[in-house]
Amino acid sequence: MDSSLNTSEFQQFVQQESQKAMVNEMVAKLTSACWDKCITSTPGSKFSSSESACLHNCALRYLDMSMLIMQRFQSMQ
Amino acid sequence: MDTFSSPPSSGSTSPSPEAMMDQLQTQLAQAYAQEFLETLRAKCFEKCITKPGSSLSGSESSCISRCVDRYIEATGIVSRALFSRQR
Repeated sequence: MDSSLNTSEFQQFVQQESQKAMVNEMVAKLTSACWDKCITSTPGSKFSSSESACLHNCALRYLDMSMLIMQRFQSMQ
Repeated sequence: MDTFSSPPSSGSTSPSPEAMMDQLQTQLAQAYAQEFLETLRAKCFEKCITKPGSSLSGSESSCISRCVDRYIEATGIVSRALFSRQR
């Protein structure tokens, strides 16, 4: 029995892992940026409702912005 | 995915693909954790150690614990926001 990696299986593995890495990176980057924007005081024992709303909105607005930048960029070509 | 159910190759030859992929996944998870830790250090240092003294004060240590908890919570809020959009 061949114990070497099945090519398509391996490709699937790599694809899955690189997708995971991309999502991971995106979440990490957004959390970092939104933390800086939204958490201005020293961290308390609980987020205030405005802090958690800000984090939520910040992530979504970042997505909106990415879309706008993409469109703007494409219209320049 | 049926190949995942095949028994691991016994013998002293090269490691099985399953073992290799497992190992890769472990290493990736370690890398993610390390990166996350580095972020925690940077963010909480900035927030909590505003004026480094001769030792870590009690209020600084409690700020650090809260900062770590809040940063983890913030990561959850951001990823939930992202996934809520993806549908």
